[in-house]
Amino acid sequence: MCGVFLMKNKTYNKKKIFFVFTAAFLVLLFLIGRLVYLMVFDAGYYQEKAEALHERERDIKAARGEIVDRNGTVLATNKTVCTISVIHSQIKDAETVIRMLVKELGMEEAEVRKKVEKVSSMERIKTNVDKETGDKIRAYEMEGVKVDEDFKRYYPFEELGSRVLGFTGADNQGIIGLEVKYEEELKGENGKILTTTDARGIELEGVAEDRIEPVPGNTLQISMDYNIQSYAQQAAEQVMEQKQADGVGIIIMEPDTGEILAMVNVPEFNLNEPFKLNTGEDTSGLSDEEKQKLLNQMWRNRCINDTYEPGSIFKTVTSAACLEEGVVSLDDTFFCPGYKIVEDRKIRCHKVGGHGQETFVQGVQNSCNPVFMEVGMRLGADKFCGYFEKFGLMDKTGIDIPGEAGTIMHKKENIGEVELATMTFGQSFQITPIQMASTVSALVNGGTRVTPHFGVRVLDKEGKEIHRFSYEEKKEVVSKEVSETMRKILESVVSVGSGKNGYIDGYRIGGKTATSQTLPRSANKYISSFIGFAPADDPKVLGMCIIYNPKGIYYGGTIAAPVIRDIFENILPYLGYEKDESLMREKEEE
Amino acid sequence: MPRPNKKRQWDYGLICIVFILVGIGLLILYSTSAYNGEVKFHDSFYYLKKQAFATALGIAGMFFTAKMDYHIFQKFAVWGYLAALGLSTAVLFIGDEYNGSKRWLSFGPFSFQPSEYAKLAVILFLASFVSKHVKKMGKMGMLLKVMLTILPIVALVGTNNLSTAIIILGIAVVLVFVASPKYAQFIWMGSLGIGFMAIFLGLESYRLERLAIWRNPEAYEKGYQTLQGLYAIGSGGLFGRGLGKSVQKLGFVPEAQNDMIFSIICEELGLVGAAFIIVLFLILIWRFFVIATHAKDLFGALIATGAMAHIMIQVILNIAVVTNSIPNTGITLPFISYGGTSVVFLLAEMGLVLSVSGLIE
Repeated sequence: MCGVFLMKNKTYNKKKIFFVFTAAFLVLLFLIGRLVYLMVFDAGYYQEKAEALHERERDIKAARGEIVDRNGTVLATNKTVCTISVIHSQIKDAETVIRMLVKELGMEEAEVRKKVEKVSSMERIKTNVDKETGDKIRAYEMEGVKVDEDFKRYYPFEELGSRVLGFTGADNQGIIGLEVKYEEELKGENGKILTTTDARGIELEGVAEDRIEPVPGNTLQISMDYNIQSYAQQAAEQVMEQKQADGVGIIIMEPDTGEILAMVNVPEFNLNEPFKLNTGEDTSGLSDEEKQKLLNQMWRNRCINDTYEPGSIFKTVTSAACLEEGVVSLDDTFFCPGYKIVEDRKIRCHKVGGHGQETFVQGVQNSCNPVFMEVGMRLGADKFCGYFEKFGLMDKTGIDIPGEAGTIMHKKENIGEVELATMTFGQSFQITPIQMASTVSALVNGGTRVTPHFGVRVLDKEGKEIHRFSYEEKKEVVSKEVSETMRKILESVVSVGSGKNGYIDGYRIGGKTATSQTLPRSANKYISSFIGFAPADDPKVLGMCIIYNPKGIYYGGTIAAPVIRDIFENILPYLGYEKDESLMREKEEE
Repeated sequence: MPRPNKKRQWDYGLICIVFILVGIGLLILYSTSAYNGEVKFHDSFYYLKKQAFATALGIAGMFFTAKMDYHIFQKFAVWGYLAALGLSTAVLFIGDEYNGSKRWLSFGPFSFQPSEYAKLAVILFLASFVSKHVKKMGKMGMLLKVMLTILPIVALVGTNNLSTAIIILGIAVVLVFVASPKYAQFIWMGSLGIGFMAIFLGLESYRLERLAIWRNPEAYEKGYQTLQGLYAIGSGGLFGRGLGKSVQKLGFVPEAQNDMIFSIICEELGLVGAAFIIVLFLILIWRFFVIATHAKDLFGALIATGAMAHIMIQVILNIAVVTNSIPNTGITLPFISYGGTSVVFLLAEMGLVLSVSGLIE
């Protein structure tokens, strides 16, 4: 039987087996060739595709630069906050994890349990956990519990200069104020981590990750002085409370450099909670749109974003223009019967009985409207507009805070006598408070129009200066002589005139008051303001206070001037301007 | 001629290569399955444990079979074949479904894949049948008769496991080809087969879609598996990422321990490692060839040839699919892909070939 088999296993069988083997050999060789093609020539293409599939790019937030005041006090900084998450697949002992999280985070057990027991790649338990708690949780070293650190913008003084500093949004970019304006300086450069993940998106451990380190933002030093700002804020809050006003704005600046030491808009809001209304109003019932409207309103910087009729403070501009043009001299005499007829209209003075006979200087001291209408007529509409423009009132001030409002002014060809008359005492057109303060600065500082600003210089992390900002200055918008005259007149306004509530014994203070009725006039709402500067012979500080819609007595000289006096009284010694004993004696003798 | 009473001399080359393949297979299986085991069963050793158990069982079976005189199986060849038919029928009715295919029979904690057994049964049955009718093998009628006898198992297995049916058919064609003294008729058969294939493909549009996916896997959602395999292969480069360092096995290549395992070999061990594995299979096939050509009788020669056909078809189809050289069809890589039944019967098959080698003088 075996022999039969042996006989049958003939040569042709062997040949054919060899044929099959050869065929298999060749096909396998071909497949090796195919592999060479795929793994050598096509490798780059597939590798790239595979990497794109595996790699997750994660940003490492750059620390945003700080904002410091002129003395280095930190006004805006970053706080490390932690995000606590759990990775379901890595948790060994869910009960212990739940107990620990409930204890450390003070959350409801049911809520924590739901999140811990949820089968997901990663579940966020709580965000914005302070670093201390985060460190504590990390110290437990529980598997599956992840503590991620992140930066959050933090404003140590909460409400201080809220509309000036501004705040940042979720992705750490500036939303209003200086945070927007200096975004490029502050933001730094985010870093990147390239990690490899599995198909579920979970990062692989032990796989080398590419890392691009973040570059922190630079420090912005601003001209604001923390002490002055907070004192001014207190003063503003006080007067707002006393006068039941809608709001109070205060600007304190250096008239010769344009540096702003303080800019207050009360009520301020808490920069650490910029999406919560400062009125304490419940927003839960409002639509998103309505809520956003209220927030936008709250974020407005009235000193910059809103215009108003400046009223009598504007008489400084009219005076300077007329003096410059030579249409009036200080000793020219006028007569005020309590009104002036312009065309067919009787425009009244604030003093019903009239000021009677007075010189131009007395007219300014009295803030007498007929005097200004008279000199304004002498100047004429064309020239008036010419000076208006020359003093820079038609342009924006160029302050480094976004959203500055422009001037609302009559068209030149529409200015008749009535319009001209009202304009001379600051009505029928609108400018921003910062515009008013900047213009008066130019009139009293010797005639140089400076750019009001906060940004002073940019520092690196070590506090080394990277660059200093420079601002435009326009020389001689008014002559030195007229500027000197203006200082004298305005000093007399405070020493003997309508601004006497701004007077501080031992200092030379110049200033001008204003009380303007807001539109519509029928509402009987007023804006009371006072602008003051010191020392009057060489102004180093200029302060302006605007009280919106005060109740009761609303005269600027009565309610706004004392605010600036109070501030000056405190900040002048602080800034190094001591009381002059000789001035005090002089005053006593009077 | 009396049978010489000398000590059996197994082909130790074959034993070596089988052990190398099984060892490397387990290592690679652990590497590819650890992630899936962890994700699905919270046990990275889940697949390895099951495979190691089956391998141990298979090795015992291999030596048991190797020690037997293979001629004993000639008596049981028909019964073995009928059993395969019975089991394949049973799976249609009481089989377990997994990933949409009914391929498993459960026996308590063990599951069993009849189609894996069917391959071995067909090899034995055909080796026996053909060697009995070898004188008539040159005739067309005999060829058809052989083909008709295995048609039932091809059809039964093919209902839910087309790939295995193709392998069985391939084994049959190789055995008949080797047994027949002629060539020309096989060219006819080949052409006929291609024509039949074309009709088969055209019958169902989803099969044509497979062709389209094959041409351009990036354009189709169903090309995902193929594409992921190509990403893995391409990522390997010359020397690979290193054993255990594949990223594609982390859920990107679905069930990386199964049909697509070769792509992970490419990713981890690179072109060099992948070529090495292919060379191992070539050596294995070469040992089959040597044993087949030196076998004491035609039955033994055909057993070795059947095993050769089995391994070569499966290796070639698997690697061709993974490298997208042919349209996708689910075929496992012998000794390396996960599958308990497969490794048990593969090792038993090796035992059979060893038994054949033992009688070589």
